[in-house]
Amino acid sequence: MGRITLDKVRKAFGDVEVIPPLDLTIEEGEFVVFVGPSGCGKSTLLRLIAGLEDVSSGEIRIDGQNATDLPPAKRRLAMVFQSYALYPHMTVRKNIAFPLKMAGLDQAAQDKKVEGAASVLNLTDYLERRPGQLSGGQRQRVAIGRAIVREPAAFLFDEPLSNLDAALRVGMRMEISELHERLKTTMIYVTHDQVEAMTMADKIVVLRAGNIEQVGSPLELYRAPRNVFVAGFIGSPKMNLIDGEEAAKRNAHTIGIRPEHITPSPDAGTWEGTVGVAEHLGSDTFFHVHLPGREEPMTVRAGGEVSLHHGDKIFLTPDETQLHRFDAQGLRI
Amino acid sequence: MARAITPQRKALNTAIAWTFGIMIFFPILWTVLTSFKTEAQAIADPPVFLFFNWTTENYTTVLERSNYFRHFWNSVVISVGSTVLGLIIAVPAAWAMAFVPGKRTKDVLMWMLSTKMLPPVGVLVPIYLIFRDIGLLDTKTGLVIVLTLINLPIIVWMLYTYFKEIPVDILEAARMDGASLRNEVTYVLLPMAVPGIASTMLLNIILAWNEAFWTLNLTAAKAAPLTAFIASYSSPEGLFYAKLSAASTMAIAPILIMGWFSQKQLVRGLTFGAVK
Amino acid sequence: MATQHSRAAARLMISPSVILLLGWMLIPLGLTLYFSFLRYNLLMPGANPFVGWENYSYFLSDPAFKAAIVNTLLLVVGVLVITVVGGTLLAILLDQAMWGQGIVRILVIAPFFVMPTVSALVWKNMFMNPVNGLFAHLAKFLGLPPFDFFAAAPLASIIGIVSWQWLPFATLILLTAMQSLDSERLEAAEMDGAGPLSRFWYMVLPHLSRAITVVILIQTIFLLSVFAEILVTTNGGPGNASTNLTYLVYAESLLRFDVGTGSAGGVVAIILANIVAIFLMRMIGKNLDA
Repeated sequence: MGRITLDKVRKAFGDVEVIPPLDLTIEEGEFVVFVGPSGCGKSTLLRLIAGLEDVSSGEIRIDGQNATDLPPAKRRLAMVFQSYALYPHMTVRKNIAFPLKMAGLDQAAQDKKVEGAASVLNLTDYLERRPGQLSGGQRQRVAIGRAIVREPAAFLFDEPLSNLDAALRVGMRMEISELHERLKTTMIYVTHDQVEAMTMADKIVVLRAGNIEQVGSPLELYRAPRNVFVAGFIGSPKMNLIDGEEAAKRNAHTIGIRPEHITPSPDAGTWEGTVGVAEHLGSDTFFHVHLPGREEPMTVRAGGEVSLHHGDKIFLTPDETQLHRFDAQGLRI
Repeated sequence: MARAITPQRKALNTAIAWTFGIMIFFPILWTVLTSFKTEAQAIADPPVFLFFNWTTENYTTVLERSNYFRHFWNSVVISVGSTVLGLIIAVPAAWAMAFVPGKRTKDVLMWMLSTKMLPPVGVLVPIYLIFRDIGLLDTKTGLVIVLTLINLPIIVWMLYTYFKEIPVDILEAARMDGASLRNEVTYVLLPMAVPGIASTMLLNIILAWNEAFWTLNLTAAKAAPLTAFIASYSSPEGLFYAKLSAASTMAIAPILIMGWFSQKQLVRGLTFGAVK
Repeated sequence: MATQHSRAAARLMISPSVILLLGWMLIPLGLTLYFSFLRYNLLMPGANPFVGWENYSYFLSDPAFKAAIVNTLLLVVGVLVITVVGGTLLAILLDQAMWGQGIVRILVIAPFFVMPTVSALVWKNMFMNPVNGLFAHLAKFLGLPPFDFFAAAPLASIIGIVSWQWLPFATLILLTAMQSLDSERLEAAEMDGAGPLSRFWYMVLPHLSRAITVVILIQTIFLLSVFAEILVTTNGGPGNASTNLTYLVYAESLLRFDVGTGSAGGVVAIILANIVAIFLMRMIGKNLDA
């Protein structure tokens, strides 16, 4: 249950091709995150899978069955929208029961399932309220509740956390991950936030301009980004990317080095620069170091207790074994 | 934040505004007052304002003597009938244009509006002749058909602007939840659009109730609604001011009340969303 | 952004409206156009020969047509001036702080809900009647001779009645536009040293210009078709003194039963209305995706 295959799926709006032919397989029970900057086509891809948009060509198979021409209702998928899309005129109970009612379940069966979902999601006390009376997090849970009662083949999440404040977002992230552990149902999750992707995914699909840049586990992507785009997109703070002479020395067009793979030192090292802004996070400190001839500062991670100040001279030594090298096309060497 | 205004200034504003307000309202007030006078008091010189012998006999006379009630009923049937029929036709169209917009949606909307701008007199002759030939002259059915058609563009437009305010997400959620198109509209769209539909309905009943071109030209004694019936007071009977006033008061009261309730929505409906 | 399914459904759901309106527009329009080229009088049954432009030349050269065009223009322009100026002033007045604002608003918009035949009759009999009307009483009280409105100034009287009906419309729309004016902007202008008059001229009026245009265009569409008020008060008279284009076409076709000439007049009316409609449609169209 819940294996989804995209076979040369292509989508064009008029003359504009937003998704060039694309192949992707999502395994049963996997938590897959589509991540990419806004406008990269990740939401469109999700909507194609949902059936809210038609594919221009290609085939979508759900559990081996061709679903390309099935209407959304027949695909056995459940979706959680960015806006939650709760029915404002219905109580929480009726919201959650709606898919069951559409499926023609009798009242008793509906009640039983709704109450089950409500207790799992801590919504039991709110069943008779309307969405307007709930907090953002509660609304989010109702949206999830409405999705789980259907026992779908897969869940689709469209940026579900972007309307929540930072603290709540971390909590909901955990809850969704928990839910996945418990249900073992396939989940496809769209976000522009690479932190969400890294923390939640079994498999990340990085998209740019409708193209899949790389597919892999969070650590694969982190350790071996296939190209400059993925290198720059995955990881926070971002990987330092260096072109020119330093790259040429290492037989590459571009080299990349993560902040934690650079050793700062007050007196000796490969590169010399000036300390700019320092971000003290307690456990770590991130220095922004200005190197001569480079516009962007380098980000360097140091321990929690380092006494370097704005304007100080600093030497940086990259860990050569952790260097990422890319060719002129931006591909990993 | 608006700053505090001196009480004197506010009192002055109030006095001026009320003066104008009452002046504008006065003809209606006078009609209502006159409807409770005797015919002699109605034309008394100097006019009597409040201190007269209030009587309801005009109302009884109007209701008993003429077929007032039948015309009132015609008005109800024609205005409500054409509005309900219009809504039934317009809801699907507005759904389609608001939620499945295509390249030509805007053109279709504008074209619908343009039919509203057709001067009725430009099509009076053929409509009159067609109605005469198929026996729809002076029938409620005929008027319901005409009023449905002339108000359809406004109904579609108003519904469209209300539907546009409903997030598409919610309808898509319903689709994902397994709702068929019919269920999507019945269980999700319509309940959410109740306020918009209600004000559309209200405005259209008002427009249809007061319509005075087609109702005057296509009806005679049988199907005439109040607009046409009141017009028959124009000659001699009109000189019975008190009775004219009673008939008029009853004709305008229901619409006045509905209009006051719907005043907030009126602007949007009457300007096709150009002023909100 | 939708699927084939929903697109197909949309086409299906939109078609009743489109087909009905298309029929409503094309069939009568086509017939009007057709009749306008025939000699067709309901009182003279028999063949209805094709006569080319005869009806048009007859209608357009009829002195009544010239009178009707002048009257139509006077009626439209007169009512527009009164309602737009009055409406702007009233909107500004109603936008001030006062007690009982809601009630005043209700009083002001009430005339809009009065059916045209009622308002025409009430004004004609109870106010403008030279013997028993309130105005006659008032004139007598002031020692003036009573004024016979519909005999002496029929068109002006009708303009007055129609203005009373449409003043609320202008006021309500301009008031709505007024309320969307950012008061901070006015305060900024005040800080910059603008007095009340220059604030009105440079801030309020430009802000209202859009709404005023909408009012003018929409009212024009309706005012070109004023009918009931004339029918009930003057029947277009005396002579043609208060006959507008709409009434003239009505008189030709349904009083004189001259379908051919009436239809030609209808076509003329359609052309006139369309000139206004084009401007209105542009305004609304611009606002559509905004």
